[in-house]
Amino acid sequence: MDTTMSNKAKNGLGLVSIVIMIWTIIPLLWIVATSLKSDAALADPKQNVLGNFWPKDISWDNYKLIFSGGASDLFVPALWHSIIVCVVATVISVALATFCAYAISRLDFPGKKLILTSSLAVSFFPVIAMVTPLFNLWRQVGLFDTIPGLIIPYLALTLPLSIWTLSAFFQQIPWEMEQAAQVDGATSWQAFVKVVAPLAAPGVFTTAIIAFFTAWNDFVFSSNLTAQNAQTVPAALNFFTGASQFVQPTGAICAAAVIVTIPVVILVLVFQRRIVTGLTSGAVKG
Amino acid sequence: MSADTSAAAVTKDSGVDPDKSTSLAKAGAWARRAPLLPALIFMIVVTQLPFVATIVISFMNWNAYYPKDRSFAGLDNFKTVLTDVNAREAIIVTVLLTVGVVLISLVLGLAIALLLDRKFKGRSVARTLMITPFLIVPVAAALLWKHALYNAQYGLFNGVLKFVFGDSAPQPDWISDHPLIAVMFSLVWQWTPFMMLILLAGLQSRPMDVVEAARIDGASGWQIFTNMTLPHLRQYIELSGLLGAIYIVQNFDAVFTITSGGLGTANLPYYIYQTFYSAHDYGTASAAGVIVVIGTIIIATFALRTVLSLFREESR
Repeated sequence: MDTTMSNKAKNGLGLVSIVIMIWTIIPLLWIVATSLKSDAALADPKQNVLGNFWPKDISWDNYKLIFSGGASDLFVPALWHSIIVCVVATVISVALATFCAYAISRLDFPGKKLILTSSLAVSFFPVIAMVTPLFNLWRQVGLFDTIPGLIIPYLALTLPLSIWTLSAFFQQIPWEMEQAAQVDGATSWQAFVKVVAPLAAPGVFTTAIIAFFTAWNDFVFSSNLTAQNAQTVPAALNFFTGASQFVQPTGAICAAAVIVTIPVVILVLVFQRRIVTGLTSGAVKG
Repeated sequence: MSADTSAAAVTKDSGVDPDKSTSLAKAGAWARRAPLLPALIFMIVVTQLPFVATIVISFMNWNAYYPKDRSFAGLDNFKTVLTDVNAREAIIVTVLLTVGVVLISLVLGLAIALLLDRKFKGRSVARTLMITPFLIVPVAAALLWKHALYNAQYGLFNGVLKFVFGDSAPQPDWISDHPLIAVMFSLVWQWTPFMMLILLAGLQSRPMDVVEAARIDGASGWQIFTNMTLPHLRQYIELSGLLGAIYIVQNFDAVFTITSGGLGTANLPYYIYQTFYSAHDYGTASAAGVIVVIGTIIIATFALRTVLSLFREESR
């Protein structure tokens, strides 16, 4: 295809892709720009350049507001809760899913397909319908608005997803190599550590990123099962208020949105190729 | 592709009959692997219990305002949901939102995937940038659209209108004028990269030698696209459409954030939320939840069948 394509056509394609980039990147730049505008600049277009786009004087007020100012009571604890809950949920679900996926890809037992299908079905289950029974149960057993009370439902989100993705990865591992190592005199532990683990590591790693990503993005569980003590950032974002009741907290919201998006963007950009493989291999075999 | 299947076959064989060894070795293999099964059981407990609870509650008469009246209700809750005006509107909104978002983002995603499948300068940069909307925390994305883009006073859209047409430019209030479309476009923006990723993976797994052969035989670009590329993409289109539909049916973040379910944008998940937290009618809320699940399953099977039959007819 490339050989027949003229330089003109290539330039044309480059132009079209610039349009696409504008479509995706301008809203993102806009949120960064808005987070750097002071309240005065937000209201007055004359203090901005590029047609009200970029502020003439960059103001860090919004970031100060969420990290040390009036909104820090809401934002800083929420950020910690997000990090703790998501990391713990990711570690637990990947550990369990590794065992599970190993069993699924290595053993032939009745109901294997059923487990895989049901884990897929569960990950499609509307979270809002899971929240309602949990809300009552959690208040009765004292898990409402606690960190464990959020980790458990997050496991319900991340476990099925991890099992599904990891099983797809594990099915591609040439397991006969494990036996070959054992024939060559390795113990089964050595065979696992030296042969299987290195082959499985990329899959496990990708799964961990996808699981973390899912937990980090959750809004439904966090907004409904917490009040203050375990609230995560996505929920906290929605309850921001401005400097006074009558000021829209737009700048602060944008600053907080930039902060929560950065770790995810970095993670995914660094491991982009792996994640794409993980997302697609989970469902399309081939 | 063949390497995978052979590897899978080997795995299967070794599981059933490891090297035709003695039954002792077989028992040993099971003993080594049996401890792995508790993980399965744990997963089933963690994930299935809320599901079962929802189903049970959906058949019960349970309103927190009337704690003494808790009883078995049969199908009453389902009747309530299907006859309630709000619930019916919520179902219509859910269908409109899902179909609209999936179709638009599939078409856009396909176009962009076709573009990014070609080699040109800056392709990898374009691809990376293209993925970014999908990486943003959904709530943050919804807030971005609500506050930074749609806002009538300082939003980007009205800013651009002013920039292009001068001070007398129209300054519409996007969200209150077109609430459903506003929600839809923020979701299209977020979901197009997802569709694009899967379709691009499909395009890149295409056997290029066959396409090359077709070109030498004089097939036009359009013929190659409709007769070779599209049929090959079939399973990828199905997959991205299905996954997208399943997630958008249960979307809550965008509706909650952008319009708070007002102005005729309350979809089923939002209706469940309202019934549960405002009306405290747990039975009805659970019944609506079960309906969302059934709807999800129907979409999945129905979409799969339609698309499959479509392509079968085409290839005849």
